[in-house]
Amino acid sequence: MKISTRLLSTTSALAMVLLGTSAQAETELTFVWHAGTCADALVDIAKDYPDKSVKIVPALVPYGPEWHNKIASEFAIQGDGFDFAMWDSQSTAEFAGGGHAVKLNDIFASSDVLSADLFPAASISQYGEYPDNSGDFYGLPMNQDAYGMMYRSDLFEDPAEMAAFKEKYGRELTVPQTYQEAAEVAEFFTRPDEGLYGWGQMGGREYDFATTASNSFLWSFGGELYNPETYEVQGYLNSPASIDGVQAYVDMFKFAPPGSGSWGFDEVNAAFQQGQLAMAMQWFYFNGSNADPSVNKFADGTSFGILPGAVGRDGLFRRQFSVGGQGMGINKYSKKLPELTKFMEWYFQPEQQKRYAAVCQTGLKSVLESDDWQSLNSYNAQFSTALQYLNDYWHLPQYPVLLDQLQEEISNAITGTKTVEEALTDAAKRHERTLERAGYEITRSDSTPEVPDQEITPVGTKEIIKVN
Amino acid sequence: MTVTDQSQQPTATKRRSAATDKKKSSGRMMILGFLSPTLLILIFMVAYPIISLIDYSFYNFSALNPHEGYKWAGLDNYTYLLSDKALWQRFIFTGKFVFVCVSLQMIIGIFVGYQLQKKFKGRDVIFTLLMMPMMLSPVVVGFLWRYMLNSEWGVVNYLISSVGLDKVSWLSQTTPALFAAAAADTWMWTPFIILLATAAFRGIPDTIYEAAEVDGASAAYKFFRLTLPMSAPVLFIALILRLIDSFKQYDLFFALTGGGPGSSTETVSFAVAKTAFNYFYTGEASALAVILLFIIIGLSMILVRHLNKMGDKY
Repeated sequence: MKISTRLLSTTSALAMVLLGTSAQAETELTFVWHAGTCADALVDIAKDYPDKSVKIVPALVPYGPEWHNKIASEFAIQGDGFDFAMWDSQSTAEFAGGGHAVKLNDIFASSDVLSADLFPAASISQYGEYPDNSGDFYGLPMNQDAYGMMYRSDLFEDPAEMAAFKEKYGRELTVPQTYQEAAEVAEFFTRPDEGLYGWGQMGGREYDFATTASNSFLWSFGGELYNPETYEVQGYLNSPASIDGVQAYVDMFKFAPPGSGSWGFDEVNAAFQQGQLAMAMQWFYFNGSNADPSVNKFADGTSFGILPGAVGRDGLFRRQFSVGGQGMGINKYSKKLPELTKFMEWYFQPEQQKRYAAVCQTGLKSVLESDDWQSLNSYNAQFSTALQYLNDYWHLPQYPVLLDQLQEEISNAITGTKTVEEALTDAAKRHERTLERAGYEITRSDSTPEVPDQEITPVGTKEIIKVN
Repeated sequence: MTVTDQSQQPTATKRRSAATDKKKSSGRMMILGFLSPTLLILIFMVAYPIISLIDYSFYNFSALNPHEGYKWAGLDNYTYLLSDKALWQRFIFTGKFVFVCVSLQMIIGIFVGYQLQKKFKGRDVIFTLLMMPMMLSPVVVGFLWRYMLNSEWGVVNYLISSVGLDKVSWLSQTTPALFAAAAADTWMWTPFIILLATAAFRGIPDTIYEAAEVDGASAAYKFFRLTLPMSAPVLFIALILRLIDSFKQYDLFFALTGGGPGSSTETVSFAVAKTAFNYFYTGEASALAVILLFIIIGLSMILVRHLNKMGDKY
């Protein structure tokens, strides 16, 4: 009797320990992202996830190729070192095309909460659809972003500056609507003796620094990176309109601090925050810190706007700039899909997304469209407007190779090693070789357009559409 | 008289010889037993990857997209790479970088090391401080120098402009970018030469210098005819290690220039890493790595042979 009582109590104690252990057992959902405010926000919000057995673990890397390579290397070994990752919109093609990302349509079909309709159609298409227009989604718009413009409103509103500008250019000093206007305003404010320059933009060789900026000019002047129907690159990337655009981008360095041809976003921010720039191209992502007086000593005199467009050689106005931000994709080799799906169902609720949107740019339609969010600060409403002008790189699995080749050639154009035409022609030839190597059949047309945008998803308008 | 049974002698010799053979054989077995774990680790950790690397270099495939299959390429990857002008430019740049860096590091390292062998107050503190850059990660050094060399607010241009000279766009022009990278690498790795040089110089017996002084040798004579020759083997090892390491330099450029402007500061190692883990052209990257491996092995063999000759001499 004594033995059986002791046995019973021991067994009970053991069972309690085991049950206790099981109740405390954590499912760790690891994600890869570049370090920054938005990754911190995700971790912070996830702390309030009601299921305390699930823990969200960040695996953060610096922005740039390491971030892409960390995700790609894990996929290459078909590993489950992370469960989900935030990757650039253009990487969806590479990872989904390689069969490494979970197709989200199946999750949408089985979930009562998650669906493609939660997000703006254009956004989920940009961040998650592969192939284009297929209706197959591999990513959700986790953190939207767009190229924007910040400028020193204290200078723009200074009566003396306004009068001097009018006297010199014969028109009012206003926030530029076109790159042609931007060049004049930038020239006006370029005063090296005073340590002031008219324009700041990225031109660095790393990752996508130069090309996200140069593409914004290229598209606005009516150029295109390639013809997605025929896979022709020659005649498109080096079309007269594309050359006009990239030339305008290269010319803007005349009004930028010397040496800024190697700048990334950190340097643009630092120069602006030190009062060296009157205007700068920058991602909306950084507006929070640039509007913060503890970071930017000119924050009170800083305003945020939408990037200019351009009047192309065909006389039409276009405003097109690079999409930023990241989609959230799921590692196909993760063994925790059910737990992750439940977390996503909670995370993409308006309550959580409102918290996220207070510091970053959500992809949830209901939050984006709400008055609360749009009036939260001086730039959210403009961000909503900016979403309609976004364009993106190639949505092809060969994206990393094409990007690196274009980065190299644009960098050559910035330094003057090649003319813009030579650089774009060389890039086009290299791109075609990359596509052919990957098995694409390039259908050669009899002629290529002077302004490719007239053929490919045309966006040109006769009137300049004012947004700032 | 001692009578020896001659007929038994060969049998005893045979027995002795058999015992020796047995001892030798058991000795060999013991050696093999001791060596086998190391040999197995070496085969697994070194030989297998190198053989795999060489094997991969004959195929066209992507580790990220294995479903696309392995296509036999024969020597195509090699012929493509060796006929690619861009790769030769990377070799030329790597050669320039190695030459500039290693020359500066050896000259400064030997000079500073020679000063540090002398006894003076605070020597150990200075020595410790000098060693600090070597303890940093090359990526950290890259970012650090990137900010120091910023054309507008970097400390280097601040110093240049404070003496009335024009600011230099260090990282957005090819030649200044080479010297910027060489300066960062020299700042980081000269301490390594100082460390080895100081150790070598301090190992030379004082009696030799005293004898030279008695003979009226000048300071320069002592340095060039005594110090340098007697520490040559150690300095040569330092040279070999720096040559090999500089030839493989990747992470510094990754952080400092990103390979730009254009691709003008891409080293061969940078190209290998990019082709392998950004492009995921695994076969082509393997072929490039094999080329690099054979160059480094060849270079090392020449230098080690020279080192052995030097060892015989001193």
